[in-house]
Amino acid sequence: MAMVMIPSEAELITKAQNGERNAFSELVCIHAQGVRNVIYRMCGDPQIAEDAAQETFIQAWKHLPSYRPQTSLRNWLYRIAVNAATDLLRKEKHILPNALEDLQLRDPQLGPEALFFEEERMALIQKAILSLPEASRVVLVLREYEGMSYHEIADALDIPVGTVMSRLNYARKSLKDKLEQSLFVHVEVKHVDPR
Amino acid sequence: MSTHVSEWLNAYHDGELHGTQLHRVEVHLAECGICQAELESLESLSSVLHEVPAPEFTAPERFAAQINLRLPHEQTKVSRKQILEIGWWMIPVGLLGAWVFIATSTVLSDILYTAHNLGLLSSLSNWLAFGSSNNSYWSATLGQFGVLSGNSLNWAEATESFTRMSLPQISLQVSIALLYLIWIAIWWVRHTRRGSGQLLEG
Repeated sequence: MAMVMIPSEAELITKAQNGERNAFSELVCIHAQGVRNVIYRMCGDPQIAEDAAQETFIQAWKHLPSYRPQTSLRNWLYRIAVNAATDLLRKEKHILPNALEDLQLRDPQLGPEALFFEEERMALIQKAILSLPEASRVVLVLREYEGMSYHEIADALDIPVGTVMSRLNYARKSLKDKLEQSLFVHVEVKHVDPR
Repeated sequence: MSTHVSEWLNAYHDGELHGTQLHRVEVHLAECGICQAELESLESLSSVLHEVPAPEFTAPERFAAQINLRLPHEQTKVSRKQILEIGWWMIPVGLLGAWVFIATSTVLSDILYTAHNLGLLSSLSNWLAFGSSNNSYWSATLGQFGVLSGNSLNWAEATESFTRMSLPQISLQVSIALLYLIWIAIWWVRHTRRGSGQLLEG
């Protein structure tokens, strides 16, 4: 039986640095989901996240020869993605309010009333995240949704670990304050027995 | 009961504490209801945040194909950042080179000046030492016109000679040393910024 050797990420990077487009496409496949998730959590709009992610990978391709393999490719890509999302948010300030209309619910089997509350709950959470300052939001997104360590976040954003900690503390405290009243009132309403 | 550990609860919740710091927080949490409640609220917040689902994006293969169509033919060979990085490391090399040049020039100039005074230089190389021999031009002129004489002329000649010869060299060397110290200070700040994560290690 013929064995198919799957090239490692390091091999793909070397090939892509030498201009091999197929190797770069494989790298795109590996990191597409993460990059789009980060941008989506930053701006709240799936279509804009797709567009900004494309721009991220095009920038990555252009600058790949200057990428140093000592650092993680994921962190390097996230840094480009965060910059792309930040530029986008500065250019198109209308994104955030419209973004909430695009929320997709986890469970479409819910009844109309439950669906309404679920929708409202998701919108509240998303709105609270999007209302955070960009600097804190990106740290929260990388930690909560991408599961990155403080060192990885510091590396991706080129900031000290102490700054990661203080921004994360601020983001979580702000979210707790924002969600504490509105969200937990809705939770209670949601769980009221209709009988 | 020991002081509350609120400032470390985020790092504890994220599994970022190690060593003595981790032990300190664990010991405190075992006996402090307030901090336990705060930690629970952090855990609840994480759960709430994960309730917002990620949208369904285009399949990665299709997404990669779309990007492939938009990729430019040329990759950037050397980025601006790389050039800046190389320039940054060339600063101390340049400063050292400038210092060596000035120090060598000073020594050579002193040797030529001494040789000239001792009459060891041939007429061909006299011009090399001429510039350094004419250090008290203004004092000598004032002496010729009788404005200065005796001790005051000697003092004026010595001062002018020092101002012309030694002061520029000292100023240049001090400037180079200052620039070098500033470079080291910036390097140290950058280095410690990157290494500040050590504080989590306890």
